[in-house]
Amino acid sequence: MMSEVKALFTLMRKNIVAMVGFILVVAFFVIGIISPYILTRPEDAWGSTFNVSARYLPPSWEHPFGTDEFGRDMFNRVILGARFSLIIAVGVVGLALVLGVPIGLIAGYSGGRLGTILMRLTDMFLAFPPLLLAIALAATLGRGLANAIIALALSWWPWYARLVYVQVNTVKNMPYVDAARVLGLDSFTIMFRHVLPNALTPVVIQASLDMGSAVLEAAGLSFLGIGVQPPTPEWGLLVSEGWQSINVAWWISFFPGLAIVTTVLGFNLLAEFAREFMDPRLRITMMAKRWFK
Amino acid sequence: MPLGREYLLKRLFHLIFVVFGVLIITFIITRVLPARPELLWAGPHATIEQIERARKELHLDEPIYVQLGYYLWGFIRGNWGVSWRTKTPVLNGLLSALPATLELIIFAFSIATVLGVLLGIVAALRRNTMVDSVIQIFSVLGASMPVFWLALIMLYVFSNTLGWLPSSNRVDETLVISTGFHPITGFYLIDSLMQGNFPVFIDVLRHMILPALVLSLYPMGLSARMTRAMMVDVLHEPFIRSALTWGIPKKLVVYKYALKNAVAPVIASLGLSFGYTIIGAFMVELIFVWPGIGLYLAMSLLSFDYPAIMGAVIIVALFYSVINLIVDLIHAWIDPRLRL
Repeated sequence: MMSEVKALFTLMRKNIVAMVGFILVVAFFVIGIISPYILTRPEDAWGSTFNVSARYLPPSWEHPFGTDEFGRDMFNRVILGARFSLIIAVGVVGLALVLGVPIGLIAGYSGGRLGTILMRLTDMFLAFPPLLLAIALAATLGRGLANAIIALALSWWPWYARLVYVQVNTVKNMPYVDAARVLGLDSFTIMFRHVLPNALTPVVIQASLDMGSAVLEAAGLSFLGIGVQPPTPEWGLLVSEGWQSINVAWWISFFPGLAIVTTVLGFNLLAEFAREFMDPRLRITMMAKRWFK
Repeated sequence: MPLGREYLLKRLFHLIFVVFGVLIITFIITRVLPARPELLWAGPHATIEQIERARKELHLDEPIYVQLGYYLWGFIRGNWGVSWRTKTPVLNGLLSALPATLELIIFAFSIATVLGVLLGIVAALRRNTMVDSVIQIFSVLGASMPVFWLALIMLYVFSNTLGWLPSSNRVDETLVISTGFHPITGFYLIDSLMQGNFPVFIDVLRHMILPALVLSLYPMGLSARMTRAMMVDVLHEPFIRSALTWGIPKKLVVYKYALKNAVAPVIASLGLSFGYTIIGAFMVELIFVWPGIGLYLAMSLLSFDYPAIMGAVIIVALFYSVINLIVDLIHAWIDPRLRL
C-alpha cells in the first residue's frame, strides 16, 4: 500500500489539476484544525454576540465577508465553519467505514447464505437516492451535530460494504490466502490480517475523496433545517441564514457557499485524478508521459 | 432486439425486493428508532388523549411483526396517514405535487442531455486544448456546487436584481385567471399547448427556466464527461477512420456514425444523476417556491410534519427504484452483454 501511495504522490506533482485539488484539500484540513486559534473575533464566530450597529455591513477591509443580521463578522464565522465541516466529513466517512468494511469483509469472505443476506441488506439501503435516507433519519433523530453525522453515516456505509465485498472477492482466492488456510489459521485472523490489508487501498482512497460529498450533503441537511443547529457556523446553515435577507445582504449566503464549492471542488479534482490512477490502463499512460517528458 | 423473459422476471423480482426493503427501512425509522413513536406521530402539540389514540392507531401494543403487517397493509391501501400541516391525506398531497416535480426534472434533463452531449462532442474533437480543459473544469464544478446555494444566487441575480425572470411559483396566477387556463394533466407546458394558450405557455417556460438550469448543471457535466470519454474512444475506431478515408464528410461521420455510440453512456449518466437531481429538486423547489414533492417535503421538514416526511421519502425512493429499473432495461436492450 505504501508504494502505491508514493507512486500516487509522484504522479500528482506533475499534474496541475491534481495539484490544485491537493492544495485546496490541504488548506481545508489546516484551516479546519487551527481555526479556533486564529479567529480575530471569536465571539462573533461562535455566535454569542449581537451588535446592533454592525448589522448587514457589506464586505470591507474590516469585514472581508460582511456581517450578518446580528452584526457578526461573516469572515470569522466562515473560517470557524471549516472546523465543523471537517468534523462532519471525518465523522461521516469514519463511521461509515466502521460499519461498511466489516459487513463487506464478512459477506465477501464467508460467501454463502450469510454473504447473500448481508449483501441483500446492503442493496436495500442502496435503493434510496443519496441524502434521502439521511433526511428521513435526521428528521427522526432530531437536530444536532452528532445526529447529522449518524444519519449521514447510516445512509453511507452500503457503498463501502459493496466496495470491500468486490475487493475481498478478488483477493480471497489468492495463493497466500490459501497458504494461510493450510497453515490452520482461524477465519478471523485470515480475514483481518491477510485479506483486509490487501483489499483496503481502493477503499481508503475512495473514502478520503468522499469527504467532499460528505461536506456537501451535511450542508444540504443543515440547509433543510434538520442538520446542525444555530448558532453553530456550519456552512450550509450559514447559507440558509442569509436566505431571507438575500436582497439586503447577498454576502451572508454567498461566502459560506463559496467555501463549500472550493472545498468540494478540491476533493473532486483529486478524485478525478485518482480515478485515472486507479485504472491500470490509464496509469500506464500517466507513467509513460512522465518518463518520456 | 427483445429482452428475454427470464431477464425481465429477474429484474422485476429485484424491484419487488427493493420496494419491500424500502418499506422495511422506513418502518424501522418510523416505529423502532424513535423512543416513543406515538409522540412523533401525534404531533408536537398533542394532548394525552391524542397520544393515546396515536398509540392505538400505530398498534404499538402489538408485537413488532404484527405492527409491520399493519404498516404494509396500510401502505398498499393508500393509507399513508394525514399531514399535520395541511390536514389532508399524505398520499393525495403527494400525488397532486408529483406532476410539478416531474415536469421540472424532465425539462432539466432535456437541457442537460442536449447541452451535455454537445459539450462532450466539442471537448472530444478539441481534445487536450483550452476548450477541452474549460469543459472539464465546468463539469467538475457542476458536481461540486451545493444546488441550494446556486439556486439562491441565480434567484438573486436574475430575478431579484435584474428582474428578467419570475422568482416563484409555476405560473402567474392573474394570467391563469384572465386567460381561463385550467390544468388537466398537471404538466403545465403540455396543458397550455393543448388549450392553445400561448401566453400561459410562455409564462410557464419563463418560470421554469431558472430552476431547470440550476438542476441541469450536475447531469449536464456528467453526460458531457461520459460523451467525451466515449467519443475519444470511438473516433480512433477503424470504422470511423475508414469512413473518413472514403471521403464521407467529417460532420456526417461525427454526428451520425460516432454519435450513435453516445446513447449508452448518456443514458447511464442520466440514470446515475437521477438520484442527485431529485434531491437537488427538493432544494430548488424550496427556493423557487415550486409546488412539487420537494417543496412538500421541505415544508414538512420545517414543521416536523412526520407522516408527510415519511410519505414523501417512500414515494421518492419508489420512484428512484423504478427509474433505475427502466435505465437498466434500456441499457440491457442496447447492450446485450449486460443481460447476464
